[in-house]
Amino acid sequence: MAGFPPPIFTPQVDVKTKIGEKVDYSNLPCPLIYEELHREAYMSLKPELFEGFRFDYNKMVNEKFFVTHSVLMGPTEVPTQHSEVIKIPTASYDFGAIFVDPKLMLLGRVTTDGRLNARGKCDLTENFSIKGTAQLTNEEHMSQGQLTFDYKGSDYRTQLQVGNGSIYGANYIQHVTPHLSLGGEVFWIGQNRKSGVGYTARYETDKMCHQVASGQVSSNGLAVMNYVQKVTEKLSLATDFIYNYISKDVTASVGYDRMFKQSRLRGKIDSNGVVAAYLEEQLSAGLRLLLSAEVDHVKKDYKFGFGVNVS
Amino acid sequence: MESTISLKTKGKGKGSKGASSSDDKSKFDIVKEWSNWSLKKAKVATHYGFIPLIIIIGMNSDPKPNLFQLLSPV
Repeated sequence: MAGFPPPIFTPQVDVKTKIGEKVDYSNLPCPLIYEELHREAYMSLKPELFEGFRFDYNKMVNEKFFVTHSVLMGPTEVPTQHSEVIKIPTASYDFGAIFVDPKLMLLGRVTTDGRLNARGKCDLTENFSIKGTAQLTNEEHMSQGQLTFDYKGSDYRTQLQVGNGSIYGANYIQHVTPHLSLGGEVFWIGQNRKSGVGYTARYETDKMCHQVASGQVSSNGLAVMNYVQKVTEKLSLATDFIYNYISKDVTASVGYDRMFKQSRLRGKIDSNGVVAAYLEEQLSAGLRLLLSAEVDHVKKDYKFGFGVNVS
Repeated sequence: MESTISLKTKGKGKGSKGASSSDDKSKFDIVKEWSNWSLKKAKVATHYGFIPLIIIIGMNSDPKPNLFQLLSPV
C-alpha cells in the first residue's frame, strides 16, 4: 500500500515487574506479533520506495473515518520470461477509505483497474481478534484472501491463518526471558503440496529498543538475521543478512534512519549493488514532500521518484 | 416366469442401491458446488460492496459527518 500511513500496530507490551533482582518469569511482557518481529529493521531498511510521481491526499472526515485519494504516474515493471524487466508507463488513481475504531478497523483501497485491496481487523475480546485481508481483481483466479485468528496470552501470542488456495499456517511466539522471545511456525500450501516449518528469535535490550537483534529460519530455505541499534534518539542504524540455503543466495545490507526536526531520511546500501534513499520532508503543516531514489549499479536500473502528501 | 420376476426385482433392487450411492456422491458434490457458488457470490459482493460498507459505517459513526465533508476537498 504505497503512500499510505501504516496502520497503527501498537505492540501489546505489558509492564513487567521485577522482584528485587530476580526476574519474574510469571509476569513477562507480551511479545510482538509474529509478522512484526523484524519491524525495527524493516522500518530502516525497507522504506516504501517508488518511481515516478506520486500525489496522496488524506482527508480526515471524522476522527475515525478517513478517505484517501492517490495518483501515481510512473513506470511499472512487468516481468517477462527473459528475466529482463520491462517498464511500462502507467497512470493510476486509487481511492481508499479507512475506518478506525478501538475494536474494529476496516481499510479498503480500490484502483482504476478494479483491483480492491481490503483489510479488516476485529477485536472480539481483549485477547482474541480476527483479521482478514483480500486482494480482489476482476481477472479470474487472481484473487487472494486470507483470514487470521489471533490469540494473545499474558506472555505469548498464537495465530492461525487460513488462505484461499488451501493455504494454512499457524505460529506461536513466547517471551522466554524479559529480553528474549522465541517462536515457531508451520504452514501448508495446498496447491504446491508444500509444507514448511520456521523458527524465529528476537532479542531486545530494553523497552526503548536501543538494540534489537532478530533472526528467522524457515524450511523453504530462507535464513534472515538483522540487528538494529538506536545510536541516539534521532539516529538508528540497521543491518540485515538474508541467506537462502537452497539457492545459495546471499544478500547483506546496511541502513540508517535519521530524524530531523522536519524530516526523516532513510538510506541503505546492499551487497547486490543497490543504493537507496528515501526522504520525507514536512514542508508545512499538512504538506509533505517525498523523494525516493533506488540505484542499482549492477543491473543499471535507476529509479527516482518524487511525491507530495497532503493531509 | 417366477425366475424372470425375481430377476427383475433383483435388477430393480440393485438399480435402487446404485442410485442411492450415486445420490450420496452427488450430495457431496452438491455441497461442494453450493459452497463454490456462495464463495463466488461473496467475492463479487465484497468486491463491489466493501468500500461502500466502510463509507456507510464511517458516515454513521460518532461525530456524525455530513455528505459535504465527505465530498469536498477541504
